[in-house]
Amino acid sequence: MADRTMRVTVISPEAAMYDGDADSVVAPAFDGDVGILPGHAPFMTLLGHGILTVRGGSGARTFRVRGGFLQVVDDRVRVVAESVQGESHAA
Amino acid sequence: MAKGRQLKGRIRSVRNTRKITRTMELVSTSKLKRAQDRVVSARPYAEALRDVIGDLVTPELAERFPLLRAPRGPAEGGPRRAAVVLVTSNRGLAGAFNANLIKEARRRIETLEAAGYQVDLHAVGKKGGGFFRYLGRKLASERQDIGDRPTPEHAREIVAPLIAAYEAGELASVDLVHAHFQSALQTPPVTVRLLPVETPTPRSAQRRQHDYIIAPSADAILEGLLPLYIRNAVYRGLVETAAGEHGARRTAMKNATDNAGDLIDILTRTYNRQRQAQITQEIAEIVGGAAALQG
Repeated sequence: MADRTMRVTVISPEAAMYDGDADSVVAPAFDGDVGILPGHAPFMTLLGHGILTVRGGSGARTFRVRGGFLQVVDDRVRVVAESVQGESHAA
Repeated sequence: MAKGRQLKGRIRSVRNTRKITRTMELVSTSKLKRAQDRVVSARPYAEALRDVIGDLVTPELAERFPLLRAPRGPAEGGPRRAAVVLVTSNRGLAGAFNANLIKEARRRIETLEAAGYQVDLHAVGKKGGGFFRYLGRKLASERQDIGDRPTPEHAREIVAPLIAAYEAGELASVDLVHAHFQSALQTPPVTVRLLPVETPTPRSAQRRQHDYIIAPSADAILEGLLPLYIRNAVYRGLVETAAGEHGARRTAMKNATDNAGDLIDILTRTYNRQRQAQITQEIAEIVGGAAALQG
């Protein structure tokens, strides 16, 4: 499990904001944050608004997202949000 | 002689026009590139939405959603009004671009009216609005503030009242007429049915087999996503029309520039020939005059 990664894409109506591998994703679902790790079962949920964190080997990237949905299938995570804003690097 | 000066004037005038059309061509080329990028980068979102909605929709579910269900026809007491949203550009000099869009919209309006609907026309862009106002048609709404860079927010503003009216049972359907950006040279007008939503079919049967954990429920997700789907269709329409406008203008201006070049060639040749003829004639007159004196 430990050496598995997920393919994460973060998509806004205007463009794909992020596309890369990650070890974990924390997303603001409609009823609270959800954490996704590699090997997650197929999953689909609505997003609320808040901070999306994508953690990969090199560090973490965060986005402010609102609306849309999150879909996980076969270690592919798709975050499709109505608005995705700014991105800041965190340690 | 006067003819010679006139020709010179025309050559100068055509040359100036060519300068303008060539500049417009170059401007459109650079704007086209950026608009094209926007069309391309909007694609993943549309695909993702289409996939997921295709995955979630089942015929049983579709029956329960007003946005997916076609209302009863006007004969059975359903709504008598239908809406058409026409997207055109704000500026002209783009060849037949806007004329084609308008023609497509008129065709759609005629079809709807023949089916007994009363059509609300919503015009986006100066050209379409201007044309229908000239015809004396009342526009249900009009906006001209969306220029080269449409945003999802613009799309939301356009479509939100229409979704609300549709859900309230006032509208029988909503169509969107916009330019389909196939390439810079191919921007044919298309009509897209926004409401009732034509549900996308899952791309492959195998996709449906994923046994999703769905939270809160397929219903709730569909309810959240359908408006996004509709909005995105409008956004795509706006972006593609913006790109199409630049493509069409570039082609139109390229043709204009080429024609101006041909015209200059012809005029220059005529001018030179005329000048030559005049010189020849003057020489002949002088020779003739001298001969007469000697004679």
